[in-house]
Amino acid sequence: MDYLSFAMDAARRLGADYADIRIQRTQTEMLYLRNLSLKHCNLDELYGYGIRVFKNGAWGFAHNTVFSEEAIEKTVKTAFNIATQSARVAHGTGLTLAHERGYIDTFRSPFSIDPFDIPFAEKIELMREVNQTMLRYNDIKVATFMLECRKDEKLFASTLDSRLDITTVYIEPNFTATAVTAEDSQSRSFREGGHAKGWEWIRSLNLVDKARHVAQEAIMKVHADSLGAEERRTLLLDPIHMSLTMHESVGHPTELDRVLGWEADFAGISFATPEKLRSFQYGSPIVNFVADNTLADGLASAGYDDDGVPNQKWYIVKDGILNEYGTTRATAPFIGQQMSRGCNRATHYYDFPINRIPNLYLEPGKEPLSPNELIADTKDGVLIEGQGSFSIDQHRVNFQFGGDMFWEIKDGKKVRPLKKIIYRSNNPEFWNSVDAICDERYFRTFGVSNCGKGQPGQRGRMTHGGALARFRNIRVGGSQ
Amino acid sequence: MMQYKDAILKAADYIRAHTSADDFTINGGYNNELHARFAQNGITQHISGTKTWLSLSVAFGAQTGAAEVNELSEEALKNLIKRAETMAHMNQPDPEFVASEQARDIPKTNNYSDATASLSLEDVVSGIQRCVANARGKDARVSGISQRFYGGHCIQTKNGFSGWDDHSTFSHSMTMKRDDVETKVSGSVKDFTTFDMTAMINRLNEQFDALSSPVQHHTGRMPVILRPAAVLDWLWYLMWMYQRRMADDGLSPYSGQIGNEFFGKRFTLRSSIDDAELSTPPFSDNAIVARNINWVNKGVIEEMRVDRDYAKLAGIPANYQANLIVDGGETSEAEMMKMVDNGIIVNRLWYIRSVDQKRGEMTGLTRDGVLYFEDGAVKRAVTNFRWNEIFYDMTRRILALGPSMLIENNARVPAMLIDGFNFVDVTTF
Repeated sequence: MDYLSFAMDAARRLGADYADIRIQRTQTEMLYLRNLSLKHCNLDELYGYGIRVFKNGAWGFAHNTVFSEEAIEKTVKTAFNIATQSARVAHGTGLTLAHERGYIDTFRSPFSIDPFDIPFAEKIELMREVNQTMLRYNDIKVATFMLECRKDEKLFASTLDSRLDITTVYIEPNFTATAVTAEDSQSRSFREGGHAKGWEWIRSLNLVDKARHVAQEAIMKVHADSLGAEERRTLLLDPIHMSLTMHESVGHPTELDRVLGWEADFAGISFATPEKLRSFQYGSPIVNFVADNTLADGLASAGYDDDGVPNQKWYIVKDGILNEYGTTRATAPFIGQQMSRGCNRATHYYDFPINRIPNLYLEPGKEPLSPNELIADTKDGVLIEGQGSFSIDQHRVNFQFGGDMFWEIKDGKKVRPLKKIIYRSNNPEFWNSVDAICDERYFRTFGVSNCGKGQPGQRGRMTHGGALARFRNIRVGGSQ
Repeated sequence: MMQYKDAILKAADYIRAHTSADDFTINGGYNNELHARFAQNGITQHISGTKTWLSLSVAFGAQTGAAEVNELSEEALKNLIKRAETMAHMNQPDPEFVASEQARDIPKTNNYSDATASLSLEDVVSGIQRCVANARGKDARVSGISQRFYGGHCIQTKNGFSGWDDHSTFSHSMTMKRDDVETKVSGSVKDFTTFDMTAMINRLNEQFDALSSPVQHHTGRMPVILRPAAVLDWLWYLMWMYQRRMADDGLSPYSGQIGNEFFGKRFTLRSSIDDAELSTPPFSDNAIVARNINWVNKGVIEEMRVDRDYAKLAGIPANYQANLIVDGGETSEAEMMKMVDNGIIVNRLWYIRSVDQKRGEMTGLTRDGVLYFEDGAVKRAVTNFRWNEIFYDMTRRILALGPSMLIENNARVPAMLIDGFNFVDVTTF
């Protein structure tokens, strides 16, 4: 049975101005090993469909798991009825949708070995070996490994006559060693984020070697000193750390729904309001943030978004100036854009798609510059690797970040490890303080798979990236 | 409603009859949901549907596996059993394996209301219409969400545990904004007949009217009145780290502190199965039965969170945070303002994260309205702050408590006057 066409025909018969259906099967394998005890092992499957109906400038959305003509017709009617009720409290004179056309296409993440074809025993064996490697160090009291594999198979149809067949996959391995002394406990992690790759990626990582490194640095860190009171200092941030910083301080503020106030009650709004477009100095002139939903192993790369809009690449910040937003068909018209940038994504079949951060990265420096050269060029500063504490206000202005590993830099050299370092800054001070970015040879990405947003909450995913960058005159110090 | 309960129980029977595992736990349920989200005085998103789920955890000896589906067809159930059992067969023995829970007396808590479950789409939209009309009357814009849930949750184990819990919730949250004034109210109840939209709108208006033209205040340690919603904001994070295993492993500030007066004397934190207004799921997802628990009694740590694995390992009882209650006092906000020379009133806290797990240091911001008071009266609105604090230490600086109030359907907390709250930075709004 062609349920896609049946649903769209039903929506047309009811008089929908627009409608779409997503039939989605999501498989998630989540494994969590703690000190060789498997605390969580689950293979989940969610399968169903969600139908959106747009009528009189308002949305209705209903979901179901029963696949029959009767159930689909009922779900379409529910969505239509909800849209009609929503129109009683219309947004302004009613929402409008940016122009789009229909597409018939397929997309598949670029993976060779499907992680769901790998025997569970192989995964557990690898996780145990990593755990054991870390626990062989006496000071390591807790070793954890969280492995997530996910596959989404989605069929999308719309009343624009789109028919899309999309399969995306990602894998995310995270492990942590925690060193404990009588006075303190400190952790160090391996975290590269999620990558839209197959199991061949995991085999290429040499995780056991990385486990040794993680354990050794956790021990180094627990015995390290902190810094004194907060001072203005130079910061060097590695791409994994910076992925989180850009996610919070650039990605979220440039989601157009937040800019428009649609997230005011929960996630918050944005300081980066439309009158600042193409004039606001978001960063220094060498700062370019690229939105790229065509990025090869990007977690937001799916061919099309859940509006049926093709993936695109554009500048969010160009030469330091706020250039554009991430938009959807419902948000783009508010700033006069004729077309959406394709940032509308839902997590599961039962989720309503919302304006999401695209894959977003800091463009590498154009001049040749290696991390060693950048460190050698820094007289006095702190290098932060990996991600730690993070907190930002609901307008995305004021923020405080920690990290996973810290090094003091003196006279161009890493001289000692540090711990318990935080920095505080704000928009636009922070990105305007960038005076050097390493070149494209050192570009690395980090896939965020747990971006919490929306009411009811959804777990979105996208990839960030960059190369080691230097920030001048930032408030850095030990915690409280 | 009965159709889902019957289908889930029938599916559980099928699994019991067809699994070959030595041990198993079946966890299932359904939720009928309605979410109407509004922003800038109009509805932007509106969702309806019923979700079902069924998870199966199995063990062959100490080898475990688990799987979950959202379909209840025979084919889906066969696959569920196969996936969980295959995983267990391929697994290695778990050194901390715990057998499934045995039969227990389950407390009779009532978490369901017909009035909530029968709320219609039209009822919910009409409630939002009132909020939008109120905002328009103030030349402001309101954004938020109205949600109605009802459903059921069941657990059955090989070793005899069997429970079913019906539940319902209505929640409403809204933020009103005009220029630089922005404030929020929210609440949830299990029984819609106890929800008072008029009172919520009035509270929103009171907060809104007090907040014109906020100015930046200096940072530093100073007295603060945390209104109940702000207290609840940090309590969730306190409980996240308040785990016995973390303490015993030396990972948190609570190491070796059981039985000690580690929190302030004025601070008592507990969970109760006897509070009729609070939602109290009678058992947790892993079949721990709810009971009355004093987490902190007049500053003394009596219990920390303990899961079933660690309960067996450490030889201590498992427990489950079914709800949260902080015992209150009788001091009004007006009286609190007179107890110190000056200070800050905070409506809510925001984006709380751990900075130093071992010390218990957390960071976060204020949100949705901040006021400066002096000589017993509010003087002006101020812009938001960043704060870094250690929660247990902060409770030692509690000077007064307001009456404990129902803030969410699972929490009852008071306002707190706290001395020397550590504000470390200010925002521009």
